[in-house]
Amino acid sequence: MSQEEIFEQVVKILTPYVKNQEALDAVGMSTHILDELKVNSARLVDVVLEFEDAFDIEIADEDVDSVETVGNAVELIASKLG
Amino acid sequence: MTNAPTGLPPRARLALALQRAVGFALSPLTTLAAAVLLRLWLGLRFEGIGELRRAFRRFRRSSDAPLLVCGNHLTMIDSALIAYALGSPAWYVLHFKSLPWNVPDRNNFAAKPWQRALTYVYKCLPIERGGSREQVAGALARFTHLLRRGEVGLIFPEGGRSRSGRVELENAAYGVGRIVKSVPGCRVLCVYLRGDAQHQYSAVPARGDTLRARIAWLEPKSDQSGVRGSLDIARQIVSRLAELEREHFHAVA
Repeated sequence: MSQEEIFEQVVKILTPYVKNQEALDAVGMSTHILDELKVNSARLVDVVLEFEDAFDIEIADEDVDSVETVGNAVELIASKLG
Repeated sequence: MTNAPTGLPPRARLALALQRAVGFALSPLTTLAAAVLLRLWLGLRFEGIGELRRAFRRFRRSSDAPLLVCGNHLTMIDSALIAYALGSPAWYVLHFKSLPWNVPDRNNFAAKPWQRALTYVYKCLPIERGGSREQVAGALARFTHLLRRGEVGLIFPEGGRSRSGRVELENAAYGVGRIVKSVPGCRVLCVYLRGDAQHQYSAVPARGDTLRARIAWLEPKSDQSGVRGSLDIARQIVSRLAELEREHFHAVA
């Protein structure tokens, strides 16, 4: 799976949780998930579980700490997919 | 208690040791002041407090397993209420390790210098809700370090005060499961505490209210790993609190 495809899927998963539509319209790899997209931090775990289901991967607790931006999520998923 | 390395940098360990030492030095004053505020100023009564304190003392005497106290959350002073329900001021002075550490929201409890001073001496590690993942991870690391060292931790697994006034399983905060998972042998003491006049969430309990507590011991485990495992453990804890809530309402009906 290419990085572009992962990116598209990640954005699709994030969309229902996004509170800032403007930031979503201009979303890129450097977009901050909590600060810019305004995803509720308490819902971040639901997003991660959706990543696991959608990409058939397992994400460790420590991995979650490294996910700040959309790009972080894409890179993490890409690394899990090998 | 485990002596396994916790991965916390020496500087952070030293800061925690200093905070603990200052808290301990002031504990005859601070624990008494908290009790006076709860009992005399707010006029709160705690039903069955003797039995609760005996159970807590028994556990602390018989085991040095890491202990995480998990409570339901209805008022902003629940940490103080639960701590008082589990031990007397004098007992905490003699067993300072048993006075729970907790992780209040920085914006609500440590925004001003006097608040920061108070939280410092009352064994608090303020955390910014929704803060950067790095900050949250750092706070979790300090908290788990303390649990591994045999200190007691207190946390609210619903994340915040229940807006419905009842335990909300869907709000189980996965971080609680993560803490339990990362501390080998961690026991959980679920404490359900509620005032008779507490119909919904509030800042403090109603003056003169009678509070009733129910407790349950848990050693939660999950067959699942990763984030899913942590969430599973958090849900087990919140489910037990919901059971205690049902028992509470059944008993007071």
